[in-house]
Amino acid sequence: MVKQLGFVLDVNRCLGCGACAKACQNRNQLAPSLVRRKIRKIEKFSKDHIEMFYLSTACNHCGNPECLRVCPSGAYAKRRDGIVLHLSEKCTGCKSCVASCPFGAPLINPQTNKASKCQLCYERLDRGMPPFCVQACLTGALRLKELKDIPDNKLLRLTAPAPSLRLTRPSVFYKPPRATKVSGFLFPK
Amino acid sequence: MKFHQSICPRNCYDTCSIISTTHKGVLISVEGNPHHEYTSGKLCPKALDDVKKVYSPQRIRYPMRQRGRYSGFWERISWDEALTLIAEKILSLKETYGSSLPLALNKYSGNFGVLHNAMEGLFTGIGATTRTVGSPCWSAGVEAQTYDFGTFFCSDPLDMAKANLIWLWGVNPAWTAVHQMPIIFDAIDGGAKVVCFDTHFSATAARAHRYVQVRPGTDGLLALGFAKVLLEENLIDSNLSSYTLGHEEFFHYLENEISLDNCSEITGVSISTIRELALEYGKTHPACIWAGFGLQRYTNGGQTLRAIDALGALAGHLGEQGGGVQYAQFQTWRFSGAIQNPAHPFNISSNTDHPSIDSLTQNQKQTDRLLNINRFSEEALSCTDPPVKILWISGRNPLSQDGNLQQWKKLINQLDLIVVNDLFHSKSSEAADLFLPITTHYEHWDLNAGYWHYWVGVNEPAILPIGESRSDIQIAWDVSSKLNELEPGSCIFPTSGDEKETLLRELGPQMLDILGLKKPEEILKAPVRANFPSTAWENRIFATPSGRYEFFSSQASNARLSPLPIFVPPLNPSIDAPLRLLTPHHYSTINSQVYASGADNSDYVLHLAPELAQRHNLAVGDRAQIWNKSGLLEVVIQPLLGISADTVIIFQEQVEANSPLNCLIGTPLTDMGQLILGAPGFALNETFVNLRKL
Ligand code: SF4
Ligand code: SF4
Ligand code: SF4
Repeated sequence: MVKQLGFVLDVNRCLGCGACAKACQNRNQLAPSLVRRKIRKIEKFSKDHIEMFYLSTACNHCGNPECLRVCPSGAYAKRRDGIVLHLSEKCTGCKSCVASCPFGAPLINPQTNKASKCQLCYERLDRGMPPFCVQACLTGALRLKELKDIPDNKLLRLTAPAPSLRLTRPSVFYKPPRATKVSGFLFPK
Repeated sequence: MKFHQSICPRNCYDTCSIISTTHKGVLISVEGNPHHEYTSGKLCPKALDDVKKVYSPQRIRYPMRQRGRYSGFWERISWDEALTLIAEKILSLKETYGSSLPLALNKYSGNFGVLHNAMEGLFTGIGATTRTVGSPCWSAGVEAQTYDFGTFFCSDPLDMAKANLIWLWGVNPAWTAVHQMPIIFDAIDGGAKVVCFDTHFSATAARAHRYVQVRPGTDGLLALGFAKVLLEENLIDSNLSSYTLGHEEFFHYLENEISLDNCSEITGVSISTIRELALEYGKTHPACIWAGFGLQRYTNGGQTLRAIDALGALAGHLGEQGGGVQYAQFQTWRFSGAIQNPAHPFNISSNTDHPSIDSLTQNQKQTDRLLNINRFSEEALSCTDPPVKILWISGRNPLSQDGNLQQWKKLINQLDLIVVNDLFHSKSSEAADLFLPITTHYEHWDLNAGYWHYWVGVNEPAILPIGESRSDIQIAWDVSSKLNELEPGSCIFPTSGDEKETLLRELGPQMLDILGLKKPEEILKAPVRANFPSTAWENRIFATPSGRYEFFSSQASNARLSPLPIFVPPLNPSIDAPLRLLTPHHYSTINSQVYASGADNSDYVLHLAPELAQRHNLAVGDRAQIWNKSGLLEVVIQPLLGISADTVIIFQEQVEANSPLNCLIGTPLTDMGQLILGAPGFALNETFVNLRKL
């Protein structure tokens, strides 16, 4: 059976601290505009609860990668372990992937004029080391897992708010967030 | 590739053990040390930018002289010129005034490494000088805990994982003590419940089960309200009489002076919530309270801490594994103090019983002129006989952090020479005459202890100093050498030395004992955890005069404070400045120490309740002004959840604004701090402003 590695984020452990994103940026020596991992803050309120959590997101190494489908130069490949690789040497910088990825993952590197995206630190993985972001996460919120091993009912796919986005089958999952009960004079009777 | 042991020297709870990697003499990466049980292989986002910081093009690499303060016209000079300038000025002032008191040092926690105390050593070596006393950080809480427990000491932070109930009170570890969060999450996985008390819904509150909003400065009353419920519900530890003092008097105070109606009215927490939480705290064991520093930066801050301590004691949570009232500790800082106490004619006995950073040494008491660090400018201006003429700023940025900038301006006008040693230019260096470039912790030896965890370790240099930068201790040796060259015998501080040997001398018999080492050299191998029990006060034998936990403290009453913890209201806003301004730490900075290459914002962001924003007709991104009699600041509006409508918050972010945040700040002082730290603390949270739309 083909494998599918993917990020699993326990949002109840994520602080939104950005250590993952910083480690990605610094250790991959990326130009400031080439942000491969981002933190998004999500807030929801009800009468006496606040749900505030963070989503640390990068390329989702989709099951049906749109980037790979649209690339006219064959510069994308999907490895047997599910990693979606961008092959710089074949890339012509046409920006098709940049325009088509629903998650905005591929970006154009201003120095090379070619696309660039999260490669899941595959060179590290091949040496048995975790990706820089996962290694940097202070709380163990961000993990890399073999998704086929995880029971479906334990996880949520939160990255795809619009149903059409699910078509790419992003390989990223989130544990359901726990809201904070609020007391005080915040919500007067 | 080579690996080196480093330690993060920032004034931070975590004091991380770092493994730095170099290749051909270049620092290429920094990572958390996986063998350090608190750092556990991880670093916070601040330290992750250390490589960029070390090689930053903005870093100052050579000694510089400014032609005209605030002119920004800096010219490179040689070390010899800089040292000569300083030494000649010192000697000529000594000649003029017949005293070295015109020479003042303003130093604190920019780098908490022990070798940085060389600056104090240099000043002591010159003679009686003008110094700061006290702390801008934690004074009131330290003194409060000293009255209650005899000294302030906290459990090993890993102990918190054993708690069944955790109250995070006025502390935001998700931003300021990140390594504690996985420990708290482990407790949650084990079934613990976490309640967060704060003035606003913080990143930590978002990870808690429950958030309780408390009106700023009323936390002490809330603790007393909880205590009253415990008393009414008979949830008091039945053994209190065996290990505490004065509980009857305290009960009497709770019965007669504390009413829940009043408590609810003032704190903003409903009576039903007070009851519910008190019952849970009284019935759950172990239950831990972590009391943050911000809680005590009020005029009633010491009383607040005493009330929280008393609540913990009443419920029997003291000395309980996974319980207690945690604040901080200084027991792992019992260094010999050899650096700051060179053998001195005035020095009758070198006092090594007390930790070195915040407390005064015997030596200083006899000779130096001591000014409260929190009112430095005012007190320095009032010194006339002789006046302060040279100011040396080290490990501090007072012009960005201190209150009362007007007095600072006056003081600057009176000074003949201002020297700053730092890595980067700062608000303070704008006023300086001389800038001395210093090394980062990747470029010098040092010795560091934490004030939260129990670890002590050595910081090795990983690379050579960048440019012509020198370590603080090297600068101190060099100044002494120049003084002695110009006037033999004018400074008794060593004129040269070896950093590694100097740090090993800081491990005297007491430290070796605490660390369980036979020889100082053993610490060079790896950081060592002090051999204290993991749970503070586990035997319920306390360090107070009575040996008991003191609800009733004679030491407090000797210091003209209430012997019992009581509620004293915080300052009230006035009509001219109706909003309380809080300025908590941001995750990306520690006070004015920032790490990003450029500022993300050109304005301070004012966070306020949506309701208050509405009242002023303000929406997200609008520009507004806040002001009070100290100053005026332009801000950008950002409504924030879970904050009361009489409070506004500006997080201390890196901002390229023209006027600094502290232009709004005066110098209110805390109720406690004098006895233990020599001066009351900084009641920073008693700042009030007015708001208008622009
Ligand atoms: S997230 Fe975008 S770039 Fe990544 S695999 Fe999916 S479609 Fe391709
Ligand atoms: S490092 Fe971990 S806790 Fe911090 S933002 Fe990234 S995923 Fe969240
Ligand atoms: S700032 Fe604090 S958490 Fe970050 S590396 Fe330093 S000591 Fe650790």
